[in-house]
Amino acid sequence: MKDQSKSDIRIGVFVCDCGSNIAGYLQMKELVEYAKTLPNVAFVQENLYTCSEGGINEIKEAIPREKLNRVVVASCTPRTHEPLFMSACEEAGLNPYLFEMANIRDQCSWVHMREGDKATERAKGQIGMAVAKAARLRELSRIQLGLTHRAVVIGGGVSGMSAAMALGNMGYEVDLVEKQERLGGLLNDLNRILPANEPPSRLVEDLAGRIKDNPKISVHTNATVSKVEGYVGNFVVTIGKDGAESKVKSGAIIVAIGARVLKPEGLFGYDGDKVITHLELETLLKHGRPEAKDVVMIQCVGSRCRERTYCSRICCMTAVKNSILLKEANPDAKVTVLYRDMQMYGVENEDMFRRSKELGVRYVTFDPSMPPAVEEGHVRVYHLRMGKDIVLPADLTVLSTPLIAQEDAGEISTMLKVPVNENGFFLEGHVKLKPLDFATDGVYLCGSARFPSTIREAVSQGLGAASRAAGVLSKEALFTSGIVADINAETCCGCLGCVEVCPYGAINFLPERGVCQVNKVLCKGCGGCAATCPSGSARLDGFSSRQIYAQIEQALAS
Amino acid sequence: MASKEVLIIGGGIAGMQAALDLGEMGIKVHLVEKNPSIGGKMAQLDKTFPTNDCTI
Amino acid sequence: MGDFKAMVHRKARYVDQSRCTACGACAEKCPTKVPNEFNFGLDDRKAIYKDYAQGIPSVFTIDPNSCKVLQGGKCGVCAKVCQAKAVDYEQKPHDVELNVAAVIVSTGYELFDATQIPEYGYGKLPNVISSLEMERLLSAGGPTKGHLSRPSVIRGEARLKEVAKLIKKAEKAEDQPQLAKLQQEQKWLEEHIHKCHTAKRLGFIQCVGSRDFRFHKYCSSYCCMHSIKEAIIAREHEHETESFIFYMDLRTVGKGFEEYKVRGATVSNLKYIRGRVAEVLQDEDLNPVVYYEDTEQRRVVSMTLDMVILANACSPSKGITALAKMLGLELEENNFVKTHPNRPLDTNVPGIFTCGCAQGPLDIPESVAQASSAAARAAEVVMTGGRALAV
Repeated sequence: MKDQSKSDIRIGVFVCDCGSNIAGYLQMKELVEYAKTLPNVAFVQENLYTCSEGGINEIKEAIPREKLNRVVVASCTPRTHEPLFMSACEEAGLNPYLFEMANIRDQCSWVHMREGDKATERAKGQIGMAVAKAARLRELSRIQLGLTHRAVVIGGGVSGMSAAMALGNMGYEVDLVEKQERLGGLLNDLNRILPANEPPSRLVEDLAGRIKDNPKISVHTNATVSKVEGYVGNFVVTIGKDGAESKVKSGAIIVAIGARVLKPEGLFGYDGDKVITHLELETLLKHGRPEAKDVVMIQCVGSRCRERTYCSRICCMTAVKNSILLKEANPDAKVTVLYRDMQMYGVENEDMFRRSKELGVRYVTFDPSMPPAVEEGHVRVYHLRMGKDIVLPADLTVLSTPLIAQEDAGEISTMLKVPVNENGFFLEGHVKLKPLDFATDGVYLCGSARFPSTIREAVSQGLGAASRAAGVLSKEALFTSGIVADINAETCCGCLGCVEVCPYGAINFLPERGVCQVNKVLCKGCGGCAATCPSGSARLDGFSSRQIYAQIEQALAS
Repeated sequence: MASKEVLIIGGGIAGMQAALDLGEMGIKVHLVEKNPSIGGKMAQLDKTFPTNDCTI
Repeated sequence: MGDFKAMVHRKARYVDQSRCTACGACAEKCPTKVPNEFNFGLDDRKAIYKDYAQGIPSVFTIDPNSCKVLQGGKCGVCAKVCQAKAVDYEQKPHDVELNVAAVIVSTGYELFDATQIPEYGYGKLPNVISSLEMERLLSAGGPTKGHLSRPSVIRGEARLKEVAKLIKKAEKAEDQPQLAKLQQEQKWLEEHIHKCHTAKRLGFIQCVGSRDFRFHKYCSSYCCMHSIKEAIIAREHEHETESFIFYMDLRTVGKGFEEYKVRGATVSNLKYIRGRVAEVLQDEDLNPVVYYEDTEQRRVVSMTLDMVILANACSPSKGITALAKMLGLELEENNFVKTHPNRPLDTNVPGIFTCGCAQGPLDIPESVAQASSAAARAAEVVMTGGRALAV
């Protein structure tokens, strides 16, 4: 490992205005002058937006020009632009790990907006600490790995099928694993789908047919995934079927396990006969029933409440669709929908909403604090617009219940080491910008396993997850981060403290040697092991004790 | 010989993400945008729901 | 499928992209100011400009409609101050021919023009603004650096400056009637525009152009969340902010959205009022007065606010009809790109896909997810060597 002696260290400090986000609250000139006084600092510059193309070029040009061998950027959170700044260093010929950031925005200007001089003093402290650490940074290198150019899709509903098909079409081998005896998931239980306005079997057969015709895709029905080992590019997935197990290698895994419909036991007099769910109504409609004359539908049963705060997105459109089908089958039937908000978002849904009203379906708002009461032969509700109770005759009451997480969602979550939220839906990498990725590399997400989705959304997300997976599968090799942990086997006593705290399952105990070992590919560099280890055997490259002590000393001195 | 390149018309968030995905797969992309910068409407937004992250 | 020839017309920037360092000296010295479209005219930009500071590519561009030189006049200041010698008034547009296997149409949308709804006063009442104008006001990089200054103040102050110049002109020309008129205006502006500087009582009107038989029958799907977000952020900027959202249905259907809506009410002083706004008028202090039906109290009420923000509909791009004609694409009845009912990214032309708001109103996570989906379809075409895939 190359490392220059202390006297050769030349740190470049780039202080960012971030427009007015930082410059609007801190004294930038003071920060620049302060940085110049710090030991080992050879060059200081103020930028308007360091993350802009111009700012990046300034870093790249300053490195050779000023002979910099360390770079500090004082700006926003590393979570936004650290990779960008690191690649700028790398492009300029500097090891990207000889780079440090001081977060003087999120951790200073943004939270101390009204504290003027004190905020500037704090920013000085942060810059000092970053410079102190930078002086002690060492070059780190990344590990190169091979990868398996295959994928496993868990879940053979419409989303999983779309993902498998897309990957198969791109030329990758795919194992599609479905726990039921046929593909199709929830679609198999539905009567008609919109906007195609056809029985769902057509779509399922079309997809399943194309999957069958593609020799790259192996379908395993009546099968489940029982174990997942490995990491991105190098997974080994155990598939259990009929009591036997087989192992397949895979570079990427897509979670497409879908969701299930809540059965509203104990709510609104649910009995599966006169008071049913829409899923049960779909089954009745498939067989040409029901012959109800007075139908009352109640929305938000078991959702948008304390137990389940979310809106299940698809229930309003399902209710409206079924109300249209009921009216078309029997124009004299009275259909009333009791709702809080009609969530008919988008283009096709509003059209459908209008059509239902043209057919005579009536809509009545209720307040969740005064929910409808389902009684024998009728439903009583406080009509918010009329300001009084009304009684609606009902020989059939249909409850719109939410989609909830599958029973095995927790199991899959543990197996794949990916998180679920408080409702059991899988938690994506970033709600806005990484809706189909996980924080864990190599695992992707689509369909109702993520959040209740319509069929078109599920298909689209399946394709999207395939695209994200293809981003990995198309590579020749994978590289890991340089900031990973390492355990000194000489001093490790095998206490397993590190294994217990590692959130990524990246540390293994080697019983034959009685020591622990880090899997650098899975390691995300969180530092939990290094902080826990009683013998100091575990260390985190890029965050050594020496570096951290230097930061603490700098902070206390200023 | 069939082209292996993709044309994306429109450099807003959707066009940019599609370009990134295809680029990640090693496929050459031509991203065409009528305005002087890419970013589309999202560049004019301040923060996004529900996380209140900056759009930039 | 698999073999498209495209002709891309590269407009002239009049700046050499390979030389420009985006230092900004040109814009600093340029003497020509025009209203900044990026900020909806709430501030000015120069004839040589950048859309926004972090724009990629990081290159300045000259607007040929306002640049003195390109309009045949005398100037050349930017070329003089540019140390990289990047300004090139002689730059010509040119065409680039491309041969591609697949095309993705991601041309986005346009904000509905609310002047089509005169009863809301947009375009007449200064403190009635569009959702995107509100975004610009809230932005730290925007015309007011994130401060919710009322547009009546911003535009009023700009007008005052203009009037002062016109008064000097009229005095020189000894035009008494014009002078009297201008002095009256000056007096009125001075008396009224500063009465309320910061907008603290905000009203958001939903479904402006959406769910409307006169314009777009569809729902623009993200505006409910958009307005809630703007109200929450406004309160972060100004602690005394109070917001009212006038809605029909509050569509918070995405992940975390319902919780966000509840948070708006419990934490950010947001009140949700179910009722359509009939009309927006103005009192003598330039405060918008909203007349709406409060459906829960079953009566028509009026409310005086500091500022009204319209949740403009997501309209299809104006240019989509021409583009569709060029590509042979079918548009659906609202002019969004039509997609196959069970293949949401596929258009009627094999090999041409669409994603994002070009195919219908979508929020950001949906657009991002769909973009990946369209990429998958395009990748399928490329990796199969352009062989036709069954549509």
